Amino acid sequence: MQIEEKLSILSGSAKYDVSCSSSDSQRSESFGSLGSTYKSGICHAFSADGRCISLLKILFTNQCIYDCAYCINRSSNDIKRAAFTPKEIAELTVNFYKRNYIEGLFLSSGIISSEAHTMHLLLKTLKLLRHEYGFNGYIHVKLIPGAPEELIVAVSKLADRVSSNIELPSEKSLVLLAPEKSRTKVFEPLEIAKNHSMEQGKTPIGMSTQMIIGATPESDFEILRLSSALYKKALLKRVYYSAYIPVNNHINLPALLTPPPLLREHRLYQADWLMRFYHFRYDEILDTQNAFLDERFDSKLAWALRNLHFFPIEINRADKETLLRVPGLGIRSVHKILYVRRQKRLSLRDLENMKIPLKRARYFITVDGVIAAREMRGYERLESRLLALEKPLPHFQPTLFDQLQSISGEI
Amino acid sequence: MVWVYDGSMEGFLTLVARSYLTKTVPEKISKYPSKISLFDDLMQIQTEDELVTKLLGTMQQRLDPLFYRRIFHAFLCDDCEVEYKLLFYIRLGLKDPSLLYDISHPIIHAIGSCEKMVLSTLHRMNAFLRFEILQDGTLYAKMEPPRNVLPLMGKHFCKRFSNERFIIHDLKRGLALVYDGRSMQIYPVVEYDIPRHMEDERHYQQLWRCFFHQIAIESRINPSLQKSHAPLKYRLWMTEFMQLV
Ligand code: SF4
Repeated sequence: MQIEEKLSILSGSAKYDVSCSSSDSQRSESFGSLGSTYKSGICHAFSADGRCISLLKILFTNQCIYDCAYCINRSSNDIKRAAFTPKEIAELTVNFYKRNYIEGLFLSSGIISSEAHTMHLLLKTLKLLRHEYGFNGYIHVKLIPGAPEELIVAVSKLADRVSSNIELPSEKSLVLLAPEKSRTKVFEPLEIAKNHSMEQGKTPIGMSTQMIIGATPESDFEILRLSSALYKKALLKRVYYSAYIPVNNHINLPALLTPPPLLREHRLYQADWLMRFYHFRYDEILDTQNAFLDERFDSKLAWALRNLHFFPIEINRADKETLLRVPGLGIRSVHKILYVRRQKRLSLRDLENMKIPLKRARYFITVDGVIAAREMRGYERLESRLLALEKPLPHFQPTLFDQLQSISGEI
Repeated sequence: MVWVYDGSMEGFLTLVARSYLTKTVPEKISKYPSKISLFDDLMQIQTEDELVTKLLGTMQQRLDPLFYRRIFHAFLCDDCEVEYKLLFYIRLGLKDPSLLYDISHPIIHAIGSCEKMVLSTLHRMNAFLRFEILQDGTLYAKMEPPRNVLPLMGKHFCKRFSNERFIIHDLKRGLALVYDGRSMQIYPVVEYDIPRHMEDERHYQQLWRCFFHQIAIESRINPSLQKSHAPLKYRLWMTEFMQLV
């Protein structure tokens, strides 16, 4: 098989994994002379769906002995299979890197003959890249649950980030759709990698996981609770959410051609962001009564509307944490405000000159005691006013073409 | 009176120093050679290294390093008005350095925006630059960035390719940054030959295009999102958008 055909099959299979970022590398030692890692990550290209391309994202192989119901690579599917050699991957990575197409490699794989054998092939590829080619760029590897500990440790030593996808947000769904997997099994390699780097007294290697959204009935509340627990344990740096695109017919899965819940995915990312950077707790964002995120508003605005007693906030006095809770004010705006506030008292005019986005925020702040939305006296009809500001979101339809592609293609 | 300088940072700093010496400010600032009306009252500014060194010393001493850097970044924004605003900005800062913190002042805000535009172009250019590998192994890239970011690009690529040789060629401004594996320098380019590529070059470009098309998810196709991240003006020299001939 020609290399181009392999690339086409094995990148097509990897594309649904959303963790593409090359940021957060904290590796201190260097492996060779070709390349560097850049602390905030670089998007080298943007594909037709508008997503960032930072890494050469491929599967080692799409052959698999497992039979996960949501995956196109499941063993019972009749599709074209391919596998790279370690050398082919190394050549591709280095040549793409030198041309400034990518920041590095994202390597994942189906299970070929056994977990140990698969992990071994990935390790061989990494060794080749790091030691023979002197490649010092970014590498993210999927760990294979069930592979022996020493292989997992060896791979983690050569990578910038490792991950293992939980895929389904509850144990019940896993049993139903991916009987060979379990939550413990999926996280086991991550625990191993973490413990190992702790023993060495190093900063733990960056780790992430992915959850498929909309394939199974879990609520956003359950999903955020799980993410929050994972962040708390400091096991993971990122949880990625991926709107499910049906690729197989299965009684326990949405029918083929069901549109992927992209808006829901988008709202989950916003809520996740609130937890990681704005110090919101998951049970502030949602609770058992409101178990799903409001699709009409972003998660912060939705929270504000349910907590109007918190507002309005005085822009000349509020502290950083409080300012961050104002809908429409991001980290940057808040820093700008704090910065200028040291020099002078802010007027509405100043905020406008500083290009602080006030479209939504003005309903929630006062400037020297006067509410910034001058036409407002109380909070009646606020929701409809804000709703009028929202842009209609584009509607997505899956095409038949999507069924030919795999959903996840890795462990 | 219109003051005309050679377009370089040194030239501009001489102009600023001149404004202090003559205790005047120009009505307009123009780069030499540019379209100047015959009837304009002109003053030619010749770069004087001594004035430049002295002014730089004062600026470095008095200004917050953040603002000092901002002056250099904003200068590269290639906007016809920026020199005038910068002159004002420098004079303001040297009078009272603390005034520059007030970003609600229109000119101070404008200089901040100029810097931001330059840095965002820089960030994009560092990401979107595409090298081709020449017969002798040199990496060669063409670009036409909307702002003059070449002087800021060396740092990133020297780190990335510390053991390679590379050339970054700004076709729009006729400049090339050359790194020979040890040191780097920017040269004006008047004429150049079409370079010879290594044998595999076409092959890898083709593989990249293949990957680029494969990785997009059909049900999420969103050209306007793609355009806002990778604006058309950057695409001219990006391998994945280039038409095959
Ligand atoms: S999800 Fe992974 S393990 Fe399951 S069938 Fe697909 S490739 Fe195999």
